[in-house]
Amino acid sequence: MSAVLKDLRPVYVLGVGMHRYQFASDTPYIAMGLTALRAALTDAGIEFPAVQSAWFGTTGLGMAAGRILFRHIGSTGLAVQQVENASASGSFAFADACLEVASGRAEISLALGVDKYGDQKRAVLKEGINRLSDTAHVPLVKYALLCRTLKREKGLAAEDLAGVAVKNHNNAATNPFAQFQKPRTLEQVMASTRVAGDLTSLQCTPRGEGAAAAIVVSEDAMRAHGLDRSRAVRVVSSTAGSETLPVGREPGSVAAARAVALRTYAEAGIAPADLDVVELHDAFSIEELLYTEAFGLCPPGEGHLYLRDGRSAVGGDCAINSSGGLIAQGHPLGPTGIGQIHEVVRQLRHENGPRQQPGAETGMAHMIGLGSVAIAHVLRRE
Amino acid sequence: MTTPLEKPDLCALAEDGRTLSLRASRCAACDGLSFPPAPYGCPLCGAAPDRVAEERLSGRARLLEFITIHTRVAPGLRPPLVVGEAEIAPGIIEEIELGVPEDRLALGMEVQAVPARIERDDVESLAIRFVPVADLEGGA
Repeated sequence: MSAVLKDLRPVYVLGVGMHRYQFASDTPYIAMGLTALRAALTDAGIEFPAVQSAWFGTTGLGMAAGRILFRHIGSTGLAVQQVENASASGSFAFADACLEVASGRAEISLALGVDKYGDQKRAVLKEGINRLSDTAHVPLVKYALLCRTLKREKGLAAEDLAGVAVKNHNNAATNPFAQFQKPRTLEQVMASTRVAGDLTSLQCTPRGEGAAAAIVVSEDAMRAHGLDRSRAVRVVSSTAGSETLPVGREPGSVAAARAVALRTYAEAGIAPADLDVVELHDAFSIEELLYTEAFGLCPPGEGHLYLRDGRSAVGGDCAINSSGGLIAQGHPLGPTGIGQIHEVVRQLRHENGPRQQPGAETGMAHMIGLGSVAIAHVLRRE
Repeated sequence: MTTPLEKPDLCALAEDGRTLSLRASRCAACDGLSFPPAPYGCPLCGAAPDRVAEERLSGRARLLEFITIHTRVAPGLRPPLVVGEAEIAPGIIEEIELGVPEDRLALGMEVQAVPARIERDDVESLAIRFVPVADLEGGA
């Protein structure tokens, strides 16, 4: 039997921090990264020299981006490794930091995600194999096609798709780290620029940049450094996978997302009904409805009913994307998965202000990356 | 000079000169059919490339879904653009570009790959577009 995270020694998130996600700007990546890092260090009550290793999630900055950034906060000799896994880069950096502490190789580790927009290169374009349609590598098109089918087959209304965006934009309106911070009405979302099929621009994640950081520690570290463990949030599972051969028209990403969610529940020892908050990959509105079903938060085919009934709103059964999600908090790639951890940790500490999910104890951060890869973490306040 | 195919790895001009056949791969180890073709080995069972041979498909497909793309979602694309998903062989569903507007299409319709003249960066080539089979039979 292979081990899962829970079989190893406990690992906790003690500090989180972000630099606001924003449209492309002249802000150097180092400034954004250090803003997030300093916020996470302050939150944890840790000085940078105590951090033994860093996992740096980025998709476009180039070689050695992490070490070049750390020069400006202290050349402490810590271990640095860059992690690239498309949209899930930050999530995988976080997974590595958790595993490093859980394994005993480090007492204090850091996951830092930073990206600027525009430098990303896709390996699929070097595959040397064409596709019938030039849109075949554009996930948006696959999901827009699926929207049309679900509207016909499941009675999904255009308002249901737009409703996801309304909820998430309204969540982001009170999130100081979100790229979009404007409340939106159904009419505004539906009247925004048409992109593909029934999807409008406000139902699609924006392009942008930003940074997010999380500091993970062992129990020994909290004791040795006299840290405030009352705000520590335990990471109870860390689970990754990738696509299998698709069956029918279900996108491989959805099947991979489902498989990883179910495995992470088993590894954490929870059921979907235990989840109070979930951050998930809503790059396009339809995805949130698909994953609500795939993650077992509602029966298959009822994702839009779960949304309509307010069960995914803050204050509902399980607050989905209370940060605003990829649609409204934003999706700068490298930071995105760590930004999800930031939101879940603040929810579980009951420090999330106007977006606080009442009584939140258990949360999941779930991410998809091109390929597709999928990864999930369950966190719990103990 | 004849106009070159934009994607010669995927298709070939059929003998009728009006349609395209598609180049798929058949694996001798698992007997599985793959599309797009599999130059690096069988994606279904992992067999080495020497077990995989070309197999031609007629280019006829069943249209499962279609939408219009209104904005430039990828470099090089010129909206509006009609794309769909179609079953090009039993169990093989691929995204396709359609050569007619949405109002000429219907779900379940038989469509056929045909060459369509395009120009990119001042270079002409024959792209793969799918059109209703009825259009071809009508001599259009």
